[in-house]
Amino acid sequence: MAGPVLASIRIMSSEIKNREITADAETGRDFAIWEILSVVSSGLLMEWVVLSFAGRSKLVGGIPVVLALGFMLYSHYDRGETLREIGFRTDNFLAACRLLLLPTALVVLLVIAVAWLTSHSILIAPWRNRFLILPLWALFQQYVLNGFINRRAQLALGKGLKSVVLVAIIFSLFHFPNPLLALLTFVGGLIWAAAYQRQPNLFALALSHALSSLILALAISPKLLEGLRVGFKYFG
Amino acid sequence: MKNPSTRLVHVLIGKSIVETLVVGALAVFTFITVLPPFFHGWSEVTETGISGWAVNNASPWERVEVQLFVDGKFVGDAIADQARPDVSTAGWAKDAWHGYTFPINSMPRGVHEARIYALHDSGGGMRKSLQLLGKPILFSVDASGKIWPGPS
Repeated sequence: MAGPVLASIRIMSSEIKNREITADAETGRDFAIWEILSVVSSGLLMEWVVLSFAGRSKLVGGIPVVLALGFMLYSHYDRGETLREIGFRTDNFLAACRLLLLPTALVVLLVIAVAWLTSHSILIAPWRNRFLILPLWALFQQYVLNGFINRRAQLALGKGLKSVVLVAIIFSLFHFPNPLLALLTFVGGLIWAAAYQRQPNLFALALSHALSSLILALAISPKLLEGLRVGFKYFG
Repeated sequence: MKNPSTRLVHVLIGKSIVETLVVGALAVFTFITVLPPFFHGWSEVTETGISGWAVNNASPWERVEVQLFVDGKFVGDAIADQARPDVSTAGWAKDAWHGYTFPINSMPRGVHEARIYALHDSGGGMRKSLQLLGKPILFSVDASGKIWPGPS
């Protein structure tokens, strides 16, 4: 008599556990979308609201960035992600570079061709010392874009086209309303997000990003790129 | 990758609340800096144009720069530094030198609306804002070019 009862209790408890696991996974996916929205809203707040209100005050302008960065770091800690998983690693650097070599070379050649066709010169803009920090700036952007947003997008939408396009749209959105930058960053976002999903290495992505940005800043007329201004600054 | 803990949810909500507070505080600060509620003034139609006075209560000795717009178009600007003893007698200003006059001529016949704005600089001259002084004034211009208060 007790045997069938115990067996049915075991089956019921196993079903409840399965439902809990499914619910947990769904919650994790839904929450990943909230995490992306939170980080994106911080970036847009800084570009469109805080910079326009706070003007030159870097202290105030930095508040959304510090909040977003703090949140992202805590999220990695909470979800038990390691630096290696995020992409701060060297073991797949060459493999990631091999993936990025052709698209980066194509972008560089395309930019040089456009520069030559429009002004019969390759290097138009003068060298600026701020270009020296480009690799670090590129690494930071790639960390936010791929080390955080891409990873959360994969949680929410899975690996593949959907999450890659979402990452590219977000990267492009950060460069609005500058039309040329928005277009170029969408293309760049597609390439880097796809490469990250195959070989998650942020150093290789930063190298490709810094190289493309440098060539773009030196070869394309600042007028055409609207001085690389984005957000509210674009209008001022 | 682990599922998020309740603590992470709380951190996200906390971050959103802090951002909302920062943006709210910035909005209030910006409003007070760009459009400070310290400007007072009045204007009226006279035989020759539009006259009035303007005072910045936050800086009572300052001579306020004013601009005249008629039918939404800029007409001219002036510094409110003419004698208006009645303004200081009434207690609106510390001294009598807050008056201005905008002569109006060559205005087409018909009814027009004049607005006087106080010009305010903020952010070290980076931002300029206009604040309406008093109420918009309706005036009419007859066939001879003379101006009259009101619509007719």
